[in-house]
Amino acid sequence: MTVTRERTVVPEQRRHVMQVRKRNGDLETVDVNKIVRAVERWVADLDEVDPLRVATKTISGLYDGATTAELDKLSIQTAAELIGEEPQYSRLAARLLAAYVDKEVRGQGVASFSQSIRYAHERGLIGDQTAAFVARNARKLDDAVDPDGDLRFEYFGLRTVADRYLLRHPETRLVVETPQYWLLRVACGLSETPGEAIGFYRLMSSLAYLPSSPTLFNSGTRHTQMSSCFLVDSPKDELDSIYERYQQVARLSKFSGGIGISWTRVRGRGALIRGTNGKSNGIVPFLKTLDAGVAAVNQGGRRKGAACVYLEPWHPDIEEFLELRDNTGEESRRTHNLNLANWIPDEFMRRVEADEDWSLIDPSDAPELPDLFGEAFDDAYRAAEKKAVRTVKARDLYGRMMRTLAQTGNGWMTFKDRSNRLSNQTGASSPSHKGNTIHLSNLCTEILEVNNDDETAVCNLGSVNLGAHVTAEGVDWEKLRSTVRTAVVFLDRVVDINYYPAPQAAASNPRWRPVGLGLMGLQDAFFTLRLPFDSEQARELSTRVQEEIFLTALETSAGLAERFGAHPAYAETRAAQGDLHPDLWGAQPSQTERWASLRSRIAAHGLRNSLLVAIAPTATIASIAGCYECIEPQVSNLFKRETMSGEFLQINTFLVRELKARGLWTQAIREQIKRTEGSVQGIAELPADVRELFRTAWELPQRALIDLAAARAPYIDQSQSLNLFLAAPTIGKLSSMYLYAWKAGLKTSYYLRSRPATRIQQATVAAVSPTAVTPTAVVPAAFAPAAFAPAAAIPILAGPDAEALACSLENPESCEACQ
Amino acid sequence: MTTIPEQRTTTGAHTGGRNLLLDPGMDLTLRPMRYPRFFDRFRDAIRNTWTVEEVDLHSDLADLGKLSAAERHLVSRLVAFFATGDTIVANNLVLNLYQHINSPEGRLYLSRQLFEEAVHVQFYLNLLDTYVPDERERFEAFAAVENIPSIARKAEFCFRWIDSVFELRELRTREDRRAFLLNLICFAACIEGLFFYGAFAYVYFLRSRGLLHGLASGTNWVFRDESMHMAFAFDVVETVRAEEPDLFNAELEQQVRDMLAEAVECEAQFAEDLLEQGVSGMSLSDMREYLQHVADRRLAVLGIAPMYGSRNPFAFMELQDVQELSNFFERRVSAYQVGVAGSVSFDDDF
Repeated sequence: MTVTRERTVVPEQRRHVMQVRKRNGDLETVDVNKIVRAVERWVADLDEVDPLRVATKTISGLYDGATTAELDKLSIQTAAELIGEEPQYSRLAARLLAAYVDKEVRGQGVASFSQSIRYAHERGLIGDQTAAFVARNARKLDDAVDPDGDLRFEYFGLRTVADRYLLRHPETRLVVETPQYWLLRVACGLSETPGEAIGFYRLMSSLAYLPSSPTLFNSGTRHTQMSSCFLVDSPKDELDSIYERYQQVARLSKFSGGIGISWTRVRGRGALIRGTNGKSNGIVPFLKTLDAGVAAVNQGGRRKGAACVYLEPWHPDIEEFLELRDNTGEESRRTHNLNLANWIPDEFMRRVEADEDWSLIDPSDAPELPDLFGEAFDDAYRAAEKKAVRTVKARDLYGRMMRTLAQTGNGWMTFKDRSNRLSNQTGASSPSHKGNTIHLSNLCTEILEVNNDDETAVCNLGSVNLGAHVTAEGVDWEKLRSTVRTAVVFLDRVVDINYYPAPQAAASNPRWRPVGLGLMGLQDAFFTLRLPFDSEQARELSTRVQEEIFLTALETSAGLAERFGAHPAYAETRAAQGDLHPDLWGAQPSQTERWASLRSRIAAHGLRNSLLVAIAPTATIASIAGCYECIEPQVSNLFKRETMSGEFLQINTFLVRELKARGLWTQAIREQIKRTEGSVQGIAELPADVRELFRTAWELPQRALIDLAAARAPYIDQSQSLNLFLAAPTIGKLSSMYLYAWKAGLKTSYYLRSRPATRIQQATVAAVSPTAVTPTAVVPAAFAPAAFAPAAAIPILAGPDAEALACSLENPESCEACQ
Repeated sequence: MTTIPEQRTTTGAHTGGRNLLLDPGMDLTLRPMRYPRFFDRFRDAIRNTWTVEEVDLHSDLADLGKLSAAERHLVSRLVAFFATGDTIVANNLVLNLYQHINSPEGRLYLSRQLFEEAVHVQFYLNLLDTYVPDERERFEAFAAVENIPSIARKAEFCFRWIDSVFELRELRTREDRRAFLLNLICFAACIEGLFFYGAFAYVYFLRSRGLLHGLASGTNWVFRDESMHMAFAFDVVETVRAEEPDLFNAELEQQVRDMLAEAVECEAQFAEDLLEQGVSGMSLSDMREYLQHVADRRLAVLGIAPMYGSRNPFAFMELQDVQELSNFFERRVSAYQVGVAGSVSFDDDF
């Protein structure tokens, strides 16, 4: 591979005139060599980077009289723009950015970690306890900062950190900590000794594990709200309760929490209101208010509030609920900011399968239904059917659910009975409550915890980066165990240190002490080991990894229980009766001896945590760690992320390595990958097994994703955020897929991802294949649809005709399967 | 038109085939369908329906406060162009294109396009009302075609080409048809395909810096629509070329080249105005190179040799060619389809 040098010539007209304004106000002629030297500092281990290229390209975007700060920013941007050609530029851009941040921090007189903490504490950003802890241990902590830590970041990750995670001066908005200071600050906020803090810092700095964003935002600060998820029970069927929920949601949202809230208990449209002898307007107007409330709360300027509303499908307003996200229709009945999820009892799915009727029942007529699951629900539901408001065909309603999924990606399918039957928390009735029931999942469908009117379930999360525990030789199991042990201790600690924005949350969390240890970078591990996502070995590896994580997490929690006691609600759990999660599934674990010895430890001392594992989407922390999200296959070998920080090109570095090794990383191949929106299925030079390995989520059988999820599920005591991907969904495909998911025993599923019907004409890819047409060649005048198709906006056809076209590799532009 | 002219022929199938796309008349017959490709485009367009209410401009207001003076100038000029750009296109569609493209399925597409132009107009109206709270400034922005010379110059170019065929009631002669083709190509290649593409570049430049996401997400959808409009227009050109190859002679080709060259100059002088205060990361010479590159691409689609041989200098435009993956915490995913077919079944492959 040689780096192209075709554009390294400085344009003649600018070579003499371009000047920059230095920070002291003096004008200085732009010197290419100076920029080259600034870049060269960082490229010792980046052999494919051409500093001159960055320098000249930077200058071409500059205007005469720009400031040196603009020049610095522009060179970062310029390096970032070259990532699509050579992924090493991502490292370069990250390092230039780190240097820029470093300059900003030092410019305020901050030269060490402890100074940064003191400086931020004086400005009201750091909590007193953390400030005192750091002051006491200043020298040890300062020495622990890894000067090479920033070299591990990719550009997108570091950009995200710099723009959104680093603490800023309240007035000047300058960052007051470097990325390494930030991670050490997070560690100190959760530690009791400097040794503990340094150990946790090193783990995070290695990017092998990261806690969830609220912890990364808030640990060590004045507002230590570190939980990601809150599960709020449905308001009671009365006005005061509804308005109390608005307030609770606003408070939880303000401190970075994502919210799941049920609305099943609130009566539907047309139901009688005895107090006024009027008829109810149903749930939609109330959800419209919730929608506005969620949008108004800005999580510290870092991201918008977000909530997901859950509804059971027997609620009389279910059809209007499914239309809340439509982009046409009456605006007063649309909620563009709310996510929607169906909380589905098995009885509904059974009737869908048997093509039977389904009764819609007003909750005011059957207030017990939300609290029941399994046979108790089935009996109560059947008994309540005589009071039905309306009867529909179960399949018609199921079809509408599928339509909503296809059109909006929303309306997630989550299964009430499975979630409750296979939960550690629903083992027994507590003395103070009628019974423990899970009423909904959370914003990302991976948390399943009991709640009620007085208790809002809380979960704090973190994820192991599996990619960092795998080499071509296999999984480093000892390292994985060690990571999990540290992770669980610090997740557990959050329960005590956490600031709870609502009393209902503070009431629930200490009783159950649930945590959610997740996983990211599964796709990285499969690439490293060269396992196709849908292979038998991939499924086996994913299952064994999950068993190891869950087993080690339980061992660690048992150890914590030995030291600090079991969590207060332990007696209400299934574990207290001797049933661990794999038992509920009837699964056969592989590490029998360890499980047996764990059982006896639990029998003796219980568990510190009622729940331990949940696979969250890891949208942001996977970016920071530079790995693929949670358990997901890659979406594309080449794609773009749009965030509040801007747009970022993401390229599959495993693929680039493969192509380079084969001498195929050429301009022509790059254009081809771009033209096919990140598919390599049409690259004939690649052997079939390599193409198979680098399939995208759109090209994988979705059945395999469901099978992998079901196989690992016995070792996930909460659930997993499982996205499914269909480029051109039809009701038939969707209904088959979700019935399969239900039968496979999944507790929850998440977004349905699909593709736009047409896309923007590509602006930069040659209209016709560059190998076929030279710049001066003329396209044949005769009307030749195939020749013109690539230049047009590309319709992705749907329906059976399109299917036939879909696999035609000669016509990649209209191919939906490979895009 | 209230009465159907004498010479109207019902369908080509019944009249020995002598019924061309640009023949005068009011063909009403959809079966047998002469141009199924136009109908497919109509259906695809419907599946891309979006509404202005879906675009959240909320975060843009905070961004506007962060812009430098130079960037603010750029944005204010840009929205002033957007204020009237789509209205001009819509007018030409109604006044000139619809009349002469004599195919019911083609007219279905044009009706749909007209609706999209209306949505764009509404989007930019909403944008201006949000961005420019001061009523007097808002009026000035809408009067940009008269007040701001760099925009007036572009408008004058558009009006000249609208007027060029405005008097034509029917395309009887070859010269009529060539005049019509020039109008069609002008609006597809120069106005939607170059003026708008220039404007989109500024928007995407700002977004690549993390600015004005609301504008960018709306623009994304506008951009997608405009791509389709252009593709349809080029389909019409190619259909006419297949039906009447002799219309396409060297003179027409030269006229197209001259027209595009003038459009590049119009847009370049607009760029001079926008970038006059210096915007880091977007130099005037890069912008000119980009416009030339786009113009070459339009020529290529028309089967005409490139004039400039310029390359795209903007890496952030390359990002537009790459599939997006939105983080749902941050913005609405724009990738979903409106029409979904089929009925419930349990044995479909997935």
